[in-house]
Amino acid sequence: MITFKRILALVLGLGILALTSCKDDDTKTSDDLVMLDIHFLHYGEGQPLLFDSLIYVNEAGNKYEVTEIQWFVSDIILTGPDKTTSITQNENIHYIDTNIPETSTWTISEGVPVADYTSLTLTFGLKDEKNTVGKFTDPPEANMIWPFHIGGDNGGYHYMKLNGFWIDVENERQPFNFHLGVGSVEEGGETTFIQNWFEVTLPLSIAQLSKRDTVVLPVVMNVENWFGNPNTWDHDVVGPKIMKNQTAMRMGIENGMTDGFSIGNIEIINHEE
Amino acid sequence: MKNEILLSAFLGFLLLAGCGDSEVQKGPTPYEFPGIFYFPKDLNIPEDNLTTEEGVLLGRYLFYDGRLSGRTHQDSLMSCSSCHLQQNGFDTGFDHPEFTSGRPRGLAGTFTPHYTLPLVNLVYNTNGYFWNGFIEASNPQYGSEAHHVPAEPHFHMKNIESIVWMTIVDPNEINGSIEQTVQVISEIPVYPPMFKDAFGSEEVNIERITKAIAQFVRTIISNNSKYHQYIEGKTVLTESESRGMELFFSEEADCFHCHGGFLMSTYEFFNNAKDSVFTDPFDRFGVTGDIMHTGVYRAPSLINVELTGPYMHDGRFKTLREVVDFYSDGLVISPYTHPLMKYISTNGVQMSEEQKDDLIAFLKTLTDHQLLTDPRYAKPSDLN
Ligand code: HEC
Ligand code: HEC
Repeated sequence: MITFKRILALVLGLGILALTSCKDDDTKTSDDLVMLDIHFLHYGEGQPLLFDSLIYVNEAGNKYEVTEIQWFVSDIILTGPDKTTSITQNENIHYIDTNIPETSTWTISEGVPVADYTSLTLTFGLKDEKNTVGKFTDPPEANMIWPFHIGGDNGGYHYMKLNGFWIDVENERQPFNFHLGVGSVEEGGETTFIQNWFEVTLPLSIAQLSKRDTVVLPVVMNVENWFGNPNTWDHDVVGPKIMKNQTAMRMGIENGMTDGFSIGNIEIINHEE
Repeated sequence: MKNEILLSAFLGFLLLAGCGDSEVQKGPTPYEFPGIFYFPKDLNIPEDNLTTEEGVLLGRYLFYDGRLSGRTHQDSLMSCSSCHLQQNGFDTGFDHPEFTSGRPRGLAGTFTPHYTLPLVNLVYNTNGYFWNGFIEASNPQYGSEAHHVPAEPHFHMKNIESIVWMTIVDPNEINGSIEQTVQVISEIPVYPPMFKDAFGSEEVNIERITKAIAQFVRTIISNNSKYHQYIEGKTVLTESESRGMELFFSEEADCFHCHGGFLMSTYEFFNNAKDSVFTDPFDRFGVTGDIMHTGVYRAPSLINVELTGPYMHDGRFKTLREVVDFYSDGLVISPYTHPLMKYISTNGVQMSEEQKDDLIAFLKTLTDHQLLTDPRYAKPSDLN
């Protein structure tokens, strides 16, 4: 029995050796890929946001602070003159939570083809077909659940929870929950659900890549812009909650679409030498 | 060529696996957790203590065996079931025969610093155990001065296993010694063979005791409440219960942002606006040292909440009515209040009496009556 096993082990060993040597030859013909690290940064007035700090003033003049931001980005596509690359990893969904630092980086380990790229398209939140009830069973994503009676079958999860405080007209510190997701409008006993996710395309420049490079690509959420341009967001008028207020959610969405996101300084790390 | 090698390698594996199998002794049977489609798939089970049928059975005996205290006199018995009663969803509850205030005392007669937490669905919580989340996989600490656990490398503070040795030595609980417990358990004739079935030999040691009890606790799963049956389409809610559910799962009363999901908790940590002065050294701040965690506790699961009072870590509310009154108009702001407590300016949600009734009716749909007598979790009938 033992000798039989030994022989088998030998055969196996040789087999593995042979296999790995075959593989070495193969790499020459495989697609040239670069690694991609997408960093999700949150900025306040042009600088990395300071959480729990009552130092920001929005367009309406409300003094405010941000406690935490939790949101979904999805359907990220890089486009260039000769190439369109859509991420397939994790169904092209990523969850970002400022309480969980490691979620600020999404490492695209499947790699991205070497090419020139001139823009990045992202979806804020989740499109209908990716936002089905019960899609996420595990935390932290599962904790983004959006109530069924105001979201319907394709409104399973918040797109974003941005929580904080503002100083109200009576000079009191008030909590606000800037929560975005599927909207609902009730009319004559009927509920209509409104998809509020949006796509933005942000120009960028990635060129002269060579294989084994790592591209570090910062996507910046500019927090103050969600509260201004084109719609001035006055916390004193809107109040602390908006999940059932489609008019308010739409205002926030339009602001986010306009300049809620930008691309930071892209870094290309060369691993050749 | 490649294919041939692959094939021979594959055949080799098959043969090896075959040879191996015939030589391996029959070990304990892996325990199969139920696949509940709406519960998390990631189970909080440490790699060095996989759950087995034999381990769970042994754990159930020890959970209910008062001699875990390391003593045999009738007045000095204490085990997990002394404070965690099945009839109350494995919490102490209002009607404990001995701890009539609902707050447990250890064998030395002193109160535990906090009120009890229920032991259901713990296997799904990956965000830390205890009100303050002290017991957590990434906790690098060994031992704990507060609980009198020595700072030795085997006394990690990472999971349910850790809570077992804490219970044994903590002056507010068993107030015993590990050696004494191991000694007493090893001298009870039923146990050595059970240890053999679960762990391969008759040796009784503290590691095995903790592992077996933790295995049993992980198997206590609750998804048979009326609400869960409703989710599964097996029953309907009354009008009052549905109205209560809508209050709960909307920004109207807004409970779901903290107690939401199907486990009725996010297992996240919040300051839920009960106080403006903070004196408890065992809050979340006591664990993380982050000033923003002052007066912060883990939002507990509300499954069986009807039975798990008195409520909050300090048992300040005796009834669900008191809890709902608090969320309706008892909130107090502090610099640490979580922003999800968004009704702070009106001291609360401001619910009408009817809304409060509806909300309580919904909370009562979270009672899993089957769990309360489920023989799989009950005291073994031959243990006295
Ligand atoms: C003297 C009463 C008492 C005894 C005996 C006791 N417990 Fe507890 N248990 C408590 C209290 C009180 C808490 C809450 C502690 C805290 O968070 O401050 C608790 C919390 C727990 C928790 C954390 C639950 C969660 O959701 O975080 C677990 C697990 C637990 N106990 C398991 C056990 C086991 C296993 C035993 C037996 C070895 C045991 N307990 C014996 C009183 C007791
Ligand atoms: C901001 C998060 C948050 C919100 C919103 C919230 N809770 Fe809580 N809840 C908590 C925390 C944290 C605790 C534990 C606090 C403690 O022990 O001091 C708790 C405790 C409880 C308890 C006591 C459970 C026990 O076993 O002792 C009940 C009952 C409860 N909440 C019900 C509700 C209801 C009903 C609502 C909606 C009206 C609600 N909660 C809204 C965070 C929240």
